Amino acid sequence: MKNFSLRKAAAVLLLLNAAGHVSAHASELRIPLKPNHIQVQPQTIGGTVSDARGPLPGVTVAVKGKTVLTTTDALGNFSIDAQPGEMLVFSFVGYKTAEITLGSNTSLKILLEEDVLSLQDVVVNAGYYSVKEKERTGSIARVTASEIDNQPVTEMLGALQGRVAGVNIIQTSGTPGGGFDIKIRGQNSLRAAGNNPLFIIDGVPISPDGIGSGINSPVMVRQPSPLSTINPEQIESIEILKDADATAIYGSRGANGVVLVTTKRGKAGKTRFTAKFASGLGSVAKFTKLLNTQEYVAMREEAYLNSGSAIPPSAYDINGTWDRTRRTDWQDKLLGGVAEFTNVDAAVSGGSNETQFVLTGNFNKQTGVYIKDFAYKKGGMRLNVNHESPNKKFKATMNVGYTAQKNDQPRLDLTRDAVRLAPNSPELYTDTGELNWENNTFNNPMRQLEGQYVSHTKDLVTGGLLSYEVLPGLQIRSNLGYTSISNDEYTASPSTIYSPATGLGPEWASVVASSSKRSSWIMEPQAQWVREFGKGRLDVLAGGTFQSQTGSQLVQTATGFPSNSLIYNLAAATTRTTQLDNIVEYRYQAFFGRVNYNWKGKYVLNLTGRRDGSSRFGPGKQFASFGATGFAWIFSKENLLKNSDLLSFGKLRASYGTTGSDQIGDYQFLDTYSSSGIGYDNVIGMGPSRLFNPNFAWERNRKFEVALETGFFNDRIFLTAGYFRNVSDNQLAGLPLPSTTGFSTIQANLDASVLNNGFEFTLRTENVKGRNFNWTTSFNLTVARNELLEFPDLESSPYATSYLIGQPLNIRKLYHLEGVDPQTGIYTFKDVNGDGQITALDDRKTIADLNPKFYGGLQNQFRYKDISLDFLFQFVKQENFGEESFFGMPGTESNQPVSVRDHWQQPGDVASHQMYATVGNTAASVAYGRYIESDAMIKDASFIRLKSLSLSYNVPAKWTKKVSLRFFFEAQNLLTITPYDGADPEFTVVGYLPPLRIWNTGIQFSF
Amino acid sequence: MKLNKNIESCWGAGTFTCRLALSAVIIAIAALLLAGCDDFVEVDLPNSQLNTPNVFEEKATAHAAMTEVYTRMRDNGLFSGNFRGLSFSMGLYADDLDYYGNPGNGYGQYYANSVTVTTAEVRTLFNTTYNQIYGCNAIVEGIGNSTALPAADKDRILGEALFARAMLHFYLSEIFGPIPYIRTTDYEQNRHVSRTPIAQVRALCLEDLDRAVSLLPLDYLAPSRTRPNKMAARALVGKIGLASGDYEMAENEASAVINETALYQNVQDLAQTFLKQSAATIWQFSPANNSFGTLEASTFIFNAGPPTNGALTQDLLAAFPPGDLRRQNWVRAISDGSTTWHHAYKYKATSGTVAENSIVFRLPDMYLLRAEARARLGELTTSKEDLNLIRNLAGVGNTGAVSQSEILSDILLQNRLEFFCEHGHRFLDLKRYGLLDTILSQTKPGWDSDDALLPIPEAEILLNPNLLPQNPGY
Repeated sequence: MKNFSLRKAAAVLLLLNAAGHVSAHASELRIPLKPNHIQVQPQTIGGTVSDARGPLPGVTVAVKGKTVLTTTDALGNFSIDAQPGEMLVFSFVGYKTAEITLGSNTSLKILLEEDVLSLQDVVVNAGYYSVKEKERTGSIARVTASEIDNQPVTEMLGALQGRVAGVNIIQTSGTPGGGFDIKIRGQNSLRAAGNNPLFIIDGVPISPDGIGSGINSPVMVRQPSPLSTINPEQIESIEILKDADATAIYGSRGANGVVLVTTKRGKAGKTRFTAKFASGLGSVAKFTKLLNTQEYVAMREEAYLNSGSAIPPSAYDINGTWDRTRRTDWQDKLLGGVAEFTNVDAAVSGGSNETQFVLTGNFNKQTGVYIKDFAYKKGGMRLNVNHESPNKKFKATMNVGYTAQKNDQPRLDLTRDAVRLAPNSPELYTDTGELNWENNTFNNPMRQLEGQYVSHTKDLVTGGLLSYEVLPGLQIRSNLGYTSISNDEYTASPSTIYSPATGLGPEWASVVASSSKRSSWIMEPQAQWVREFGKGRLDVLAGGTFQSQTGSQLVQTATGFPSNSLIYNLAAATTRTTQLDNIVEYRYQAFFGRVNYNWKGKYVLNLTGRRDGSSRFGPGKQFASFGATGFAWIFSKENLLKNSDLLSFGKLRASYGTTGSDQIGDYQFLDTYSSSGIGYDNVIGMGPSRLFNPNFAWERNRKFEVALETGFFNDRIFLTAGYFRNVSDNQLAGLPLPSTTGFSTIQANLDASVLNNGFEFTLRTENVKGRNFNWTTSFNLTVARNELLEFPDLESSPYATSYLIGQPLNIRKLYHLEGVDPQTGIYTFKDVNGDGQITALDDRKTIADLNPKFYGGLQNQFRYKDISLDFLFQFVKQENFGEESFFGMPGTESNQPVSVRDHWQQPGDVASHQMYATVGNTAASVAYGRYIESDAMIKDASFIRLKSLSLSYNVPAKWTKKVSLRFFFEAQNLLTITPYDGADPEFTVVGYLPPLRIWNTGIQFSF
Repeated sequence: MKLNKNIESCWGAGTFTCRLALSAVIIAIAALLLAGCDDFVEVDLPNSQLNTPNVFEEKATAHAAMTEVYTRMRDNGLFSGNFRGLSFSMGLYADDLDYYGNPGNGYGQYYANSVTVTTAEVRTLFNTTYNQIYGCNAIVEGIGNSTALPAADKDRILGEALFARAMLHFYLSEIFGPIPYIRTTDYEQNRHVSRTPIAQVRALCLEDLDRAVSLLPLDYLAPSRTRPNKMAARALVGKIGLASGDYEMAENEASAVINETALYQNVQDLAQTFLKQSAATIWQFSPANNSFGTLEASTFIFNAGPPTNGALTQDLLAAFPPGDLRRQNWVRAISDGSTTWHHAYKYKATSGTVAENSIVFRLPDMYLLRAEARARLGELTTSKEDLNLIRNLAGVGNTGAVSQSEILSDILLQNRLEFFCEHGHRFLDLKRYGLLDTILSQTKPGWDSDDALLPIPEAEILLNPNLLPQNPGY
C-alpha cells in the first residue's frame, strides 16, 4: 500500500516539476480551472498524509479555488468535502506542496516530499536580507550541515578547512580548544590581530577576540576563542560573505569578510527524536626525526672540542653524571599518547504549521596525547522556536543557546621539550613515583604537569527576530540579541614544579586566576518594502544597529599556600595581588540600507550602504560611511540562450564598494594612567597606560569583484570563476616604535595601502546521478596575492626592515646563507652592501614570502544505495619556517633533527651545517643567530592532506521500521603528503602540538 | 480567551487601528534611539584608568605615579634583584658568579661573554629601562602642568623623577656606552633619537641631579627610606663624579652623605646590614607586600647542590682574607657530600614576614667612593682612613697598602668583597679602573676587550637606524 502512495505522489510531483519550478508559495501556481457547470454531489474524501518516515500531523488540506480547508490530525488523517474533478492541495512548511485532482477514489494516501530545492533556488542568508542563489549580486559562499556534520571536529572553523574558496584556515594547535586562525581573502591590515572576520550567529554578532586574560594560558597559542562554544552539530549553514556587495552593509566591520552562522530550525510534523553517539581516537600523526643518543653525545663532545673548552661540571648529559647510553624517544614518551574523543548529540524537533521548535543537546569530551590525562569537555543545549501567524504576517523566531566548557591542560605545551630533551635524559619518575630531579641535575619536563591550566567557559547566546507585515509589501522587524560569555582560568604552579634543592615549599606555590566576562546586547530595527513594478521588483531595506558590549577582567595572582592541594583556593593564599581589574565598554551604532532592483529576474542591481559610529575612536573621528554597488546579469535568461541544451545557467556579476575595520581595541585614543596592581609603600602604583594618539581614524577597504557563474547540462556541471581586488588604505596600525619612546607601539593611521587580489574557482560536478548511485565532486581553488602597494617614507619608518613595496605583508627579510666556510667551519652570509660586515640592517635582504601561493580543496561524495562515502583533500602551496628554527644551536644541550648530521668537522669539509659549537664559541653563536634568520630556514611547507573522510551506512527502513538508523566512520587528517621535514606543515607559531589524526566511529538514529 | 482572540485578530486579520498602533510603537522606539544616538558611542573611562592631567592634580595619585616607577625598577630592569637585573646578569658577566643553568640560554651567554645583538635578556634590559625613563618624563611633564598639587609635593616628586631619570641613564650608559638621553614623552622625537656621547650623558645626568638635589628635602618621606631624599641624589652625583674623573666632586658629595650622621650610621653587626631598618641604608625599595622575600633572595639562594642557576666563583671566595666577617655573614656553603658550592647570602629570607628590603644605595659605598677619590687626588692618609673603616667593620685589620696604587688596589678588592652581587658593582669598578681586560681575561675564557659594552639590541637598530653605529665587536 505504501508503495502505491509513494509512486502516486512522486508522479504528482514530477508533473509539477515539469510545469516549472516548485515555489514555496502555493498561491503562485496558477493552474486555470474551468468553471464546472455540471452539478456534482459533494462527497467526503478521507485519507492520510505522511512523509518518508511516517504520518504527518498538521498538514493543511484545501480545495483549490474554495475556502474549504482542514488539517491532518495527530495520525496524519484528514477528511474534507469535495467533488470529483476538484483539486486538493496539501501544503506543509518544509515540504513540497502536492496537488491532486480528485477522481472516484475517496480514500487517499498522500506522501509529501521534503522540499529539497535545486541549487539555484536555494535561499542564501546575506545577513540583513536573504537572496536566491541565482539572483545574488555578491560573493557568498555557503557550507551546509551535510558537509559539517560528518566531520569529527568540535570547532566550527575546523569544519570549514579546505572547503571554501578564498578562505584560509589554519589550526594553531592540536591542544583541544587551541583555536584556529582564519583569513578571508588575505591579510588586509598591518595589524596582525586586525584581520578577523565578523562572526554573526543567528543575527547576533560574537566578538572573536579571545576571552582569556592572555597572561594565563601559556599552553595555548591563542587565548580561548568564543567561537569554540558553537557546536558544529547544531549548525544548519554557514554563509561567508566576501565581496563589497555582500559586506558593505556591515560597514566598518566588513573589511575582513563576514561569517554568518545559522543554527538548525525545527520542522513541522510529528515530534522527532534524533541522537548520535560517536567515539574516536586521536594521535600525533608524525614525529620529527631526531639524533639518537650516540649521535647526540658525539655532537656535544665535538662541540666542546671545537670551542676549545673543557666539558664543564654543569654539562650533566655528557660529563658522566647521566648515563651516556640511555635512550628515550621523548616525543613518543611525552606526546605519544592516544587522545580519546566522545561525542553525544541529541535533538527533539517538531511542531505545527505555525510553530516549530528544535531542542538540541550535546556533550563532547576529548582527552590529550600527553603522558598524563588531561581533558576537554563541552556540553551545551540550544532551543530554537519559530512562530508564524496563520496569515503569515507576524513572525517570531527565538534562539537560546548555552554552552559550558571545561578545559584541563598542562601549564605548558610539552612539544618543545619533547624534541629538545637530550635523548639520554634520566627517568621522569623515581621508583616511588616521585618526580625525578636526578640529584638536582635534571630539569624534569614533567614539572610542567605538576601545574595545571584549567579553564571554565560558559556562554549564552540568545537572539530573536520579530517581524510584522504592516501593509502588503511593507514589513517592519527587529533583530534582538543578547550574549554573555564568562571565562575563569587558573594556571597553577605548585611548589613541586621547583626542584627540591631550591628549598621552595608551598609558601612559593602560586596560582594565576583570571575571570573574564563579556556581555553584549544588540538591537536592529529594520523596515523592508517590496514592490513589483511592471516586470521588475524593487526591494528596499532600511535599518539601524545599536550594540553595546561590556567586558570585564579580573586577574589575580595568589602566592603562598599552606599546602599545594589548596592551590585553587585563593582564600588560602597568604598573598593575593590583583594584577588587573578592568571594565571596558564598546558602543557601536549604525544606519544601513539596501536598494535592490530585479528586472525580470535577468538584471539585478544591488546598492548597499552604512553609516557607522564606534566608541573605539576619539571625538570627531567616530563616524564614517561605507557603501557598495553590485550588479548581476543572468544572461542565460536572454532569449538567445533560454532554450540552450548546453548552458542551463549563466550569470555575470560585479561589485565595488568600501568597508572598514575598527578592530583596534578599546580606549586606544585616551591619554590615561592605569593602576598597576602592584604595591609600593603599601600603595598601588599608577603607570602611563600607553602612548596615545587622539587622531586615529577608520581603516578603509575598497573591494572590487567580478565573477562568472555558469551551469551546464541542467547544472550538473557548475563552474564559478571570480576575480577579486581589495585595497586597504588609511592603515590603522600599532606602529612599532623603538623602546626609546618608552613603549613598543602606538596606534596610528599610515598612508600605506595593501592589495589583495586573486582568482577563485569553484567547480561542482554531478558525475553520476542515478537511482542507486550518485557521485558528486566539488573543487575549489584560490590563487591569491598580497602586496604592499604604497607606503610613503617606508625607508625611514619602523617598518623599513619588515616590509617592502611590491611585496606581500607576510614576508621575512632574511640573510642569504652562502654556505659553510670550508676552512673555519662557520656559516657565511652574503654581504649585500659589501661593507665587510654582516648587519641586520644592511644584509637581511633576501625575501621569503610566507603567504600561500594557492590553496583549495577537492571533495568527492559517493552514494550507493544506503552507503555514502565523502572525502576531502585539502591542498596548500606555501613556504614556512623549517623545523630547525626551534632547536637550539647544534652542540648545545638540545637534541637536533637528523639534518644536522651533515656538518663541518675539519678544514676542507663541505657541509650544509656549520661545526657543532657551544655558546661560548662566539663566532659560531653569532653565525647561528644569523642562520636562523636566514633563507636556509625557509622550507617548502606545501601539503596535500586527506583532511576528512566519512563513510556511512543508512540501515534500510524496511529493517528498522519506524526508526532510521545510520552507522558511520569518520576520520580527520588521515594522510599528509608533504616535502616538509618537521612534524606538520600547518602551524602559525612553531613549537606547539600539531593537529591530531583522528578516527571516529558512531551511530545515529532518529524516530 | 477573548484577549487571545483580540491579539489573534491584531496579528491576524489585522484591523487598521491595530496595525497603526503597532507601527507607531516601533517607530517611536526607533525614534527614541535615534535621538540619543549622538551620545550612544560616547563611553566613560574604564574603571582602571584616570586621565593623565588628573593624576597630577591630586596628591595620592601623583605619588602613586612616582612609586610606580620604583615598582618597575624593583621588579624589572637594571636594579631589579631578579635574574635579568644587573646584580645577577653582570655578576655572571664579570667574575662574581659561575653559571649552572642551561648554557644555551641568555644567561649562559652573559656567563660566556658571548651575548649577541639578539640576546633577549639584553633587549629586555634596554627596553625596560626606557619604559621606566618614560615614566619619569611623564611625571616631569605632568608636575609641570599641575596646578592644584601642593608645592612641597610638587618639589619632592619632581626631584625624585629627575633623580630616577639620571640614575637610569647613568647605569645604562655604563653598560651600553653612548645611549640616547631621553627628556620628553614625545614619541615623534624619541623614535628618531641618536646616541648621546658618554660625556654628554653624564653632563645631562648632573644637570638633572642638580635640580633634584635642590628640590629634594633632606628628610625622608617615611622612615622606611623607600623614597629617595637629597642625600640619595648626592650619592649618585658622587658616583658620576668618580666615573668621570671629577674626584673633588666625588669626594665632596660622599662627604656630604657621610656627614649626615644624624641619618646615617655604620652597621657594626654585618648580620644586620641588609635588614630593612639598617641605619646605613641611603635608599631601598619597598617590598610589593609584607609577606614576600626580596627578589635577590630567591635569585641567589639554593638549598642543595648542584646549583640550578648561579654560584659564587672560586676566585671571589679566595679573595676573602681569613676572618672576613662579610664572608661569614654574607656567603653560605651548600654541599652534596663531595662538592661544595657557595651562594650570596646577603638577603636571607625567601618568604615569611619581610625583614629585608632590596637596598639600592648604602653608606659603605660612600666611604669606598671617597677613599678612591681621595687616593686619586693624592690624599692618601684620609683615603686610608675611609678604607680602614670599611676593613675594620669587616673584621679585617688596617690595610697594609702604602703607595697610591696599592691603596687603589685594596679599595678595588674591598669594593669586590663588600658589593659582590649588587647591581654590577664589580663590573663598574673594573671598568673605572681600566682593568676589565687585565682581570677578566684571566678568569673568563670568552672575554675580549669589546665585551666592555653590551650591544645595542638589533631590534632597536632596525626600528631606529639612528642608533648606529653599533658598539665595537658586535
